[in-house]
Amino acid sequence: MIEVNNLTKEFGKLKVLQGITETIRENEVVCVIGPSGSGKSTFLRCINLLEIPTSGEIYINGEQINKKGVDINRIRKKMGMVFQNFNLFPHMTTLQNITISPIQVNKTSKAEAEEQAMELLKMVGLQDKAHVYPSALSGGQKQRAAIARALAMKPEIMLFDEPTSALDPEMVGEVLQVMKDLTHQGMTMVIVTHEMGFAREVADRVLFMDEGLIVEQGTPEEIFGNPKNERTKSFLSKVL
Amino acid sequence: MEIYLKGIAIAYSGALVTLQITIFAVIMGVIVGLFVALGKMSSIKLIRIIFSVYVELLRGTPMVVQALIIYYGLPMLLQDFGFNFRWESPVFASILVCGINSSAYVAEIIRGGLQAVDKGQMEAARSLGMKHSQAMRFIIIPQAFRIILPALGNEFITLLKETAVLSVITLTEVTRKSMLWVAATFEAWPAYLGTAFVYLSFTIPLSRLVAVMERRMAQSDRSK
Repeated sequence: MIEVNNLTKEFGKLKVLQGITETIRENEVVCVIGPSGSGKSTFLRCINLLEIPTSGEIYINGEQINKKGVDINRIRKKMGMVFQNFNLFPHMTTLQNITISPIQVNKTSKAEAEEQAMELLKMVGLQDKAHVYPSALSGGQKQRAAIARALAMKPEIMLFDEPTSALDPEMVGEVLQVMKDLTHQGMTMVIVTHEMGFAREVADRVLFMDEGLIVEQGTPEEIFGNPKNERTKSFLSKVL
Repeated sequence: MEIYLKGIAIAYSGALVTLQITIFAVIMGVIVGLFVALGKMSSIKLIRIIFSVYVELLRGTPMVVQALIIYYGLPMLLQDFGFNFRWESPVFASILVCGINSSAYVAEIIRGGLQAVDKGQMEAARSLGMKHSQAMRFIIIPQAFRIILPALGNEFITLLKETAVLSVITLTEVTRKSMLWVAATFEAWPAYLGTAFVYLSFTIPLSRLVAVMERRMAQSDRSK
């Protein structure tokens, strides 16, 4: 469970997050939508402290993580993150990308880590790409490998930061399919996305952000079918 | 003609020493330079200042002066403090001088390389639960190393030429071999032509190698 209380983030004078309060339950799939610069990605990156909040509190399973003395590496092990630009490690094969963290952080044996990695690669449809380097993968394959890498740490929560925004249109579907499969496995997921059709299909709840605030939230039916806020309406009329 | 070949042969008799000093000094420069680079990027201001001063001092003084300080100055200082220290041979002093000198330049090369690695790499590593030190070791440094390999090659070439100044602390490397021969025979022209030839015989292949590495780098960048 993720609880965020009055979260703000400032970059110099720029107030990117202006006080976000939100609770994301276990096994819930939440899609965050909104215009560019609305603070969606910053909100997501604050959840695993890739950005340090200016003020406010973040609790993961009841434990406050943004205070002194908390071992953030322990918390991050429970949270996988998938980036817009994949951020695969280019000097390692797909298999090594997936096994490096289980081996070095969790001290899993190499054999066990590789066995798990092969299962994950099978799940994302890349079992034949285990021994190639990321430069030999297509965009969609890279992102699927990145999802497998995050899953290798057996996270309870997965954070997706615009996972399909850097992909050619014909590759978006394969990545969304993998994510959809994950939702059926009861994973808690927070997805920042511009794929409205996908959000509508998989989300339990949709958050609409604008100017650093969650302006409106509700089920996909409520947000897409009957938006109440003017800004939500105006945004959706432009993207749908 | 024979006298020219003799000049080259005399210079070549010092090549092993020159290469030895250069290789060990570069290894030392890379190891020390890595720590200096990390020190200059430290989050603690005092550490940053200390390592910045270290780099400034070494880059702001000629290596020949550094050699004189280490080889002649240091034993005197230590003797004043009651240690009976003197250099057994100029070889160790030479490696030390070149290694420390090189570390300042290598540190800047490494710092540039580390900063050239996409910052998403560090974020991805940290998001997987790695500590900062693990992310540096497994993810950032290996990638930075590839980026800086050509620059390290150039540093190797520079240092190889710079070792010529070690003749002032009596190291019998390429240049000093020639100088000694001139002192005995007064054949300055063939002697120093031979010296130049020997240096070129190392630096030209090395700079070709660096050029190949740079081309490879450019290719792997395109295929990213």
